[in-house]
Amino acid sequence: MTPFELAEPRSLQDALALLNTDDPSVRAFGGCTALMLMMKTGVFQPTCLVSLRGVEPQHAAIQSDSGVLRIGALATLTAIGGSAMVRKAAPVITHAMQTLSNVRVRNVATLGGHLAHGDPHMDLPPVMIALDAELTAVSVKGARTLAIADLFTGYYETALAKNELISEVRIPSQAGRRSAYIKCTTRTADDWPALGVAVSFATDGKVIQDARVVVSAATEKAVRLRDAEAVLNGATVSDAVLTRAGEAAAAEAEVVGDARGSAAYKREMLRVYAARAVKQALAA
Amino acid sequence: MTTHRNIEFTLNGRLVSAQVGNHQNLVEVLQGEGLFGARESCGQGLCGCCTVIVNGSAVSGCLTLAPLIDGADVRTIEESADGKLDVVQQAFIETGAFQCGFCTPGFVLMTRQLLDAHPNPTDDEIRHYLAGNLCRCAAYPEIIKAVRLAAAKRKG
Repeated sequence: MTPFELAEPRSLQDALALLNTDDPSVRAFGGCTALMLMMKTGVFQPTCLVSLRGVEPQHAAIQSDSGVLRIGALATLTAIGGSAMVRKAAPVITHAMQTLSNVRVRNVATLGGHLAHGDPHMDLPPVMIALDAELTAVSVKGARTLAIADLFTGYYETALAKNELISEVRIPSQAGRRSAYIKCTTRTADDWPALGVAVSFATDGKVIQDARVVVSAATEKAVRLRDAEAVLNGATVSDAVLTRAGEAAAAEAEVVGDARGSAAYKREMLRVYAARAVKQALAA
Repeated sequence: MTTHRNIEFTLNGRLVSAQVGNHQNLVEVLQGEGLFGARESCGQGLCGCCTVIVNGSAVSGCLTLAPLIDGADVRTIEESADGKLDVVQQAFIETGAFQCGFCTPGFVLMTRQLLDAHPNPTDDEIRHYLAGNLCRCAAYPEIIKAVRLAAAKRKG
C-alpha cells in the first residue's frame, strides 16, 4: 500500500469539511475493511483517508422511533446483528447477519460503509430495498433523504456525491409484512455470493400484496424485479404462482456472470431462489 | 504530508510505542515487536490467521490500519498467564485439532471469544462463529471437538 495522510476528526461536521475537496482520492471510512482490500490491490491509492471512528457516538446509535427503526450509519454490523430492537423490528436483518462475511469483519464494518461501498455482492442492500428503507445523506451543504432503492446506480456506483456521507438508515414499520433473504454461495459458505434474493410482502389471508423482490450479486447492482412482483401481487400462494414468479424474475433480471458462476447458471439459480425466498418468508 | 506517526498501545499487558506508517497494518506492527503468532495469510480478512484481539474485540490484523491502534489494548496468542497454556489451547492439543498449526493461533483466539460470549455453544453456533477461519489441513472435525471440550473444561 502507498503512504497517505490520515485525518481523525472528532465530529461529523469536521469530517464533512475534510471531504469537501476536489481531490477524488480523499475518502472516509468506518471499518475500513472493504477499502483495505481496494488499497491492498492498488485499485485505490488515497492521498488522505478520513477516519469516522472518532465522531460523535450518537451516529452509531440504534433507536426505535414511533415504529421506525433508526440505525446510525456508524453502527457496526455486530451491534446491528446483536440488537434486540433490530430483531424485533426486522428479523430478516438479524438472520442475514449470521452469514454476512465473518465475526472479525462484522466487529468493525459499519452499516454506512457497507451501503456506500456500492458493491453488488453485499448482503444488506437487497434486504434494505425489500424493507423499503431510506437513508439520510449529509454534506457541508446540508442533509437529504434518499430511498435505498435509489442509492445504487451501477457497479460500485452510488447516487452519493463525493462530499456526502450516509448518517442514518431508517426502516419503516414492517407490521403485517413478511420478509426473507437467501443467498447462493458457490465456493464456501462465507464466500461472496453468486446470487442474493430478498423478498418482502404483506399478506391478506393467503393473498400476497405489495411485494418487493430484490436481486443482488448476480446483477451489477441490487435492483427490484417488477415483473416477479406483479406475478405475486394479488395472488394466492401456490406452487404454480411461485414457479411463475421465479420464471418472471429469471426473465427480467440483467444477469452478469463472474468467477462465482456464469450468467446462465446464476439465471437458473435466480429462478429457483426467488420462489424459495417467498416460501421462506411465508414460513418465517 | 504526514504519512507516519508515533503510537502507544498496550500489547499483552505491556505498554509499547512504535513509529508506524499510516498505510501499515497491525500484523506488520506486531512483527516489529517480535511477535509472529498473527500471520498474514489470505490478506483479505477471510482466513483468520491474523486474528488479534483489540479492545476486547476480534479483528483481522491484516485489515487493521496501524495508526488506529494508538491507545488500544491489543492481545495476541503470545499472551499467557505465566507461560501456561489455557484450557482452549489444552483442548486443541488433547483433540489433535491441527496438523501444521499455521491457522491455530487464530482458531484459539476466536474460540476464546466464542466461549466468552456463548459458554455453551451448539455445533451450529460453533460453525457460524468459526466460519471465517480456514484450516488448510482440514482439521475441522477435531476443531469442533476441541471447542466442545474447551467449553466443558471452562465449566470445570
